[in-house]
Amino acid sequence: MLAEWTMFRTGRSLIMKTMLAGCALASLTNVTYAADDYVLGPDSQVQPGVPQGTVTKHTWKSEKVYPGTERDYWIYVPKQYDGSQPASVMVFQDGGAYVNPEGQFRSTIVFDNLIHKKEMPVTIGIFLNPGVIPATEPNAKPRQNRSFEYDSLGDQYARFLLEEILPEVGRTYKLTDQASQRAICGISSGGICAWTVAWERPDAFSKVLSHVGSFTNIRGGHVYHALIRKTERKPIRVFLQDGSGDLDNVHGSWPLANQEMAAALKFAKYDYRFEFGDGGHNGKHGGALLPESLRWLWRNDDAR
Amino acid sequence: MIRTWLLFTAGALGLVACQQAHAQDMSVSGVLIDGAGWQLVGQGYKFTEGPAVDLQGQVYFTDIPNNRIHKIGLDDQVTVFADNTAGTNGLMFGPDGLLYGCRNGDRRIVTYDKQAQVQTVVEDLNSNDLVVTGNGGVYVTDPPGGKVWYINKQREKRVVAEGLKPNGVILWPDQGTLVVTDSAEPILWTFRVERDGSLSQKDRYYGPLQLPAGGGGPGSDGMTVDTLGRLYVTTRVGLQMFDPTGRLGGTILKPQPGALSNVCFGGPELDTLYVTAGDKVYKRRVQSRGVRYPAAN
Repeated sequence: MLAEWTMFRTGRSLIMKTMLAGCALASLTNVTYAADDYVLGPDSQVQPGVPQGTVTKHTWKSEKVYPGTERDYWIYVPKQYDGSQPASVMVFQDGGAYVNPEGQFRSTIVFDNLIHKKEMPVTIGIFLNPGVIPATEPNAKPRQNRSFEYDSLGDQYARFLLEEILPEVGRTYKLTDQASQRAICGISSGGICAWTVAWERPDAFSKVLSHVGSFTNIRGGHVYHALIRKTERKPIRVFLQDGSGDLDNVHGSWPLANQEMAAALKFAKYDYRFEFGDGGHNGKHGGALLPESLRWLWRNDDAR
Repeated sequence: MIRTWLLFTAGALGLVACQQAHAQDMSVSGVLIDGAGWQLVGQGYKFTEGPAVDLQGQVYFTDIPNNRIHKIGLDDQVTVFADNTAGTNGLMFGPDGLLYGCRNGDRRIVTYDKQAQVQTVVEDLNSNDLVVTGNGGVYVTDPPGGKVWYINKQREKRVVAEGLKPNGVILWPDQGTLVVTDSAEPILWTFRVERDGSLSQKDRYYGPLQLPAGGGGPGSDGMTVDTLGRLYVTTRVGLQMFDPTGRLGGTILKPQPGALSNVCFGGPELDTLYVTAGDKVYKRRVQSRGVRYPAAN
């Protein structure tokens, strides 16, 4: 990959950059580094004195919307939640990756820090893995439902959240029913999934965060940019992240597809932000940007 | 030590690696061989269907209006295997070496032995296509009735799915999942196979299929699967290939305009696709291999 000369960008640490460059720097502004070397900032690290929320693991067997599927999911509850008022909600697809405190996103640590600083509201995080339908016989392969659930257009996944998951979590925690206080996030196919949920049900989800989103022709999602231009604007706030090193395969070009999305969102005057870096198909850039993207998504909302 | 480290790393990185693997593609370039196009095997038929491979790799097919079943030898010579087949449509060899057929003209599922002697398996049902399991069970599509039937080894039939317009039917290589084409839908219905042959967990797992640009349904019909779990379905626009997660990997062009009704792997190595296409039958050597269903425990 090409080295580049640049100023710092959001989420990149000077110290790390210096180390990566082998401490052989002529000046602070002329820093040579490889592409896709995004690193996590302080809001993605555990900070002393910041209350830490709790994370519990659960399983869900769907009988209605995705019959026969089984999945793990995790619920993050911030320390500041006391049940006196409904909490805001953010749903993550591929939840296991987002909830991992040592992964590329460390979402619960970011939540702890941002909620503590009142840069986002008291928010319960729901981290869902995709479903699997186990085969009857042990030697037969399960049906992996991830692509079906995430890449398909239509309202099936939104119904899964609204008819199964949110009511289930809502049995234990007081959750908002306001679209303005519900956000949804995902990476790759989970990214287009997050967009699809808000596109189908903007009355239920108003904030979307997409990391290297698959707005390509896996199952027809390449049409969204065209639909956005020719459909009355929906009340959705959306943060897209992608990179020039993202995939280019039989389903499409991820960098071009995300640029098409951004251009269409601009054309249709959406409340959107597009961060296009030099990363590949991974969560490095999105992880480094997570605190900033959450601040942007939740801005102007009451931080309780 | 290396193994331990690898396992640890795999566990730690599993989810992200999983996402990346899912985002990768299985395109038709991984199936086709440069320069190996469709080759004409036989012509002059009225409407060909039901390609089925025997243990040697010879392919049998039906000419429905002419009431014949033909056999393609390993030398590519086409001979008549059976006459007066009463509109026999879908075919497949069972683990007993018999050729099972949808003998829709007299509303029977039958077997043909090596001498083309006919025996009834069950009667009094409409049928279009079938798949025989490694244990000798048979799934049969019934388009007029909107049903899928299951015939157990005791040769008792019962309805295991309703409320669809079924046409082609196939099992995954491990036989744990059944797939049914629906001529009215741009998807393929997918079911879990239960121990007693019942079908459960129906969903629109494969899709969307490519549709003809001029309008109309996909015309999805017969299917086959390969050793990597890729699924091939005949449609109006061509032979559409799906990966095991239900995503379209690409469309292989039809050998000629008009109908493309069914497909199977044939040849001694099961490395050649055979398609029935209206008045003709074609074959094409590919990188992928077909499967034979093993008997379950």
